[in-house]
Amino acid sequence: MLKIIFLILMSGGIPVAIAMAGASLIYLFWQDTTPPFVVIHRMVSGIDSFPLLAVPFFILAGNLMNNAGITNRIYNYALALVGWLKGGLGHVNVLGSVIFAGMSGTAIADAAGLGTIEIKAMKDHGYDTEFAVGVTAASATLGPIIPPSLPFVIYGMMANVSVGALFLAGILPGLMMALLMMLTVAYFAHKNGWGSDIKFEWPRVIKALAETAVVVGWPLALWVLITKLGFPPQVTVFAGLIVLFAADRFFNFQAVLPIMTPVLLIGGMTTGIFTPTEGAIAACVWAMVLGLGWYKTLSWTMFVKVCLDTVETTATVLFIVAAASIFGWMLTATGVTTAIASWVLAFTKEPWVFLLIANLLMLFVGCFLEPTAAITILVPILVPICQKLGIDLVHFGLVMVLNLMIGLLHPPMGMVLFVLARVAKLSVERTTMAILPWLVPLLGSLAIITYFPNVVLWLPRQFY
Amino acid sequence: MDIDAGPKVMGDDGQFHAADEAVDLSGTPVEAWVALALFWALGLTVFYQFFTRYVLNNSASWTEEIARYLLIGTVFVGATIGVAKNNHIQVDFFYRFMPRPLSRAMGLLVDVMRIVFFGLAVVMSWQMMQKLGSYKMTVIDLPMNIVYGVVMLGFAAMFVRSFWVLRVHWRRGYCVLERPESTMDDR
Repeated sequence: MLKIIFLILMSGGIPVAIAMAGASLIYLFWQDTTPPFVVIHRMVSGIDSFPLLAVPFFILAGNLMNNAGITNRIYNYALALVGWLKGGLGHVNVLGSVIFAGMSGTAIADAAGLGTIEIKAMKDHGYDTEFAVGVTAASATLGPIIPPSLPFVIYGMMANVSVGALFLAGILPGLMMALLMMLTVAYFAHKNGWGSDIKFEWPRVIKALAETAVVVGWPLALWVLITKLGFPPQVTVFAGLIVLFAADRFFNFQAVLPIMTPVLLIGGMTTGIFTPTEGAIAACVWAMVLGLGWYKTLSWTMFVKVCLDTVETTATVLFIVAAASIFGWMLTATGVTTAIASWVLAFTKEPWVFLLIANLLMLFVGCFLEPTAAITILVPILVPICQKLGIDLVHFGLVMVLNLMIGLLHPPMGMVLFVLARVAKLSVERTTMAILPWLVPLLGSLAIITYFPNVVLWLPRQFY
Repeated sequence: MDIDAGPKVMGDDGQFHAADEAVDLSGTPVEAWVALALFWALGLTVFYQFFTRYVLNNSASWTEEIARYLLIGTVFVGATIGVAKNNHIQVDFFYRFMPRPLSRAMGLLVDVMRIVFFGLAVVMSWQMMQKLGSYKMTVIDLPMNIVYGVVMLGFAAMFVRSFWVLRVHWRRGYCVLERPESTMDDR
């Protein structure tokens, strides 16, 4: 009953958040046992949570890094590392997305902001638009898989799973996906006989490798100094920062400081120094220091604009979470979730069959609904079944988010598809055809992640 | 940004030279500025907590509660921006297959139902505040009704904005559901 009202309201085009809260409200009026203002109470307490504080700051950190000054640096770094390969800019596109995925948590924003730059660069260099759009779309899915990730925060809160464990679980699958995508780029380059986009020069490659070494070495050195040699933490970190910034000025590093963001974030969260929320704050402060202070590539008006965008995205996402909290509560209270669970369990008790069905369902839902909305609707229904079947919830979270990301790419309603079609001035039909070959590495990754849970769970098991 | 105009993003020197677009802040709704103020207050609070915990080794206890309430304020006031721009997430899939008169009627019905929902939400927030009475926050000695008051104001702003959206839709003869590529600025 509740579910049916909701489905009617939502497919009628009412905003998802209002459809969820509205359906609950109609049901409460009809039942007449609970006072309807419970809706408001539930909506407010739904976002009254400390982990959710991470959401606006992950959005802000991503937006702050997404300005031309820092983008150029990261692409130049990626170009130096892989630009000389055949199909160079395709590889640069994937590697650039991996790095940005480590700073921002959404796919749609990545596709719109970075996508414009990536597609233009590739078109300038004679790649056909279809290939440029395809690789951009595919690599945009990395954003929410590689931490930090907004969908993981929402899933973690809804399913009561540690956000830190989910973040760690995303690292290996994300890198595996990037590898598969680069193999696809190599295949296209080989098939079409593409050359490289820049000459191979030892000094440039060595400089990029040296920067990588600094990015890995600096936090590692601090960690050894503090934990093994017993240096006082605050003073050591402060001195380390001074050395790092001095070195940056002296050697004129291309991208050490921006790339440090994901390393610090992920490192800080794995070693338990930061909670995800604190990590998000640290990333914002870092991004502000770089953009406003150090590189001065961010003007104050742009900063205000970035903050306004952040508020808008945060409000849209969390308004849905708020509405989902009353809706999920009603679903459980009225016994809908138990009914669905027993129906599914009567059908199959094999985890692999359930995962297959769940994958198909989530791919289907993913092409109609934005990921956050889809997560808030799917978690209360699917997670209880997972618990009964003994499927690890961290594993399932990864499967769910990847499914929803792939849903963003494919017709009929993928949002990344539409964004990129508009950016590249390509018809939706041609964009769809351009993205099709990229579903091969993506669905391949999905199959591996679904049926080899150890790829996902190995890393978090080392820490949790 | 126009994809075909402008200089090459990756120049012949083998470096990227992307440039940012100019920023235009005019046309930002008032609610957005209020939400921004709440958001900055939130940012400062959480940063203060971060600072006290890592630099002074002594974290302030009031910050977490205040931060959560500021987040609630930011969300419920900020959601007004989504109403004003009419870009809250919605499913427009079925509108592609509807005959024009039906989609027009459905679009207006959605607008009316949105107004009804926000109207009810204002009333219910008020009832909630009556129910809470003089109930205090956990750590700080302030009435809990401040939080619900902000929520109610947010809903009230959304209520007013949704009337405005209906008017625009009525005048120009189509809504965003029927033409997903349009924005509220198109007349």
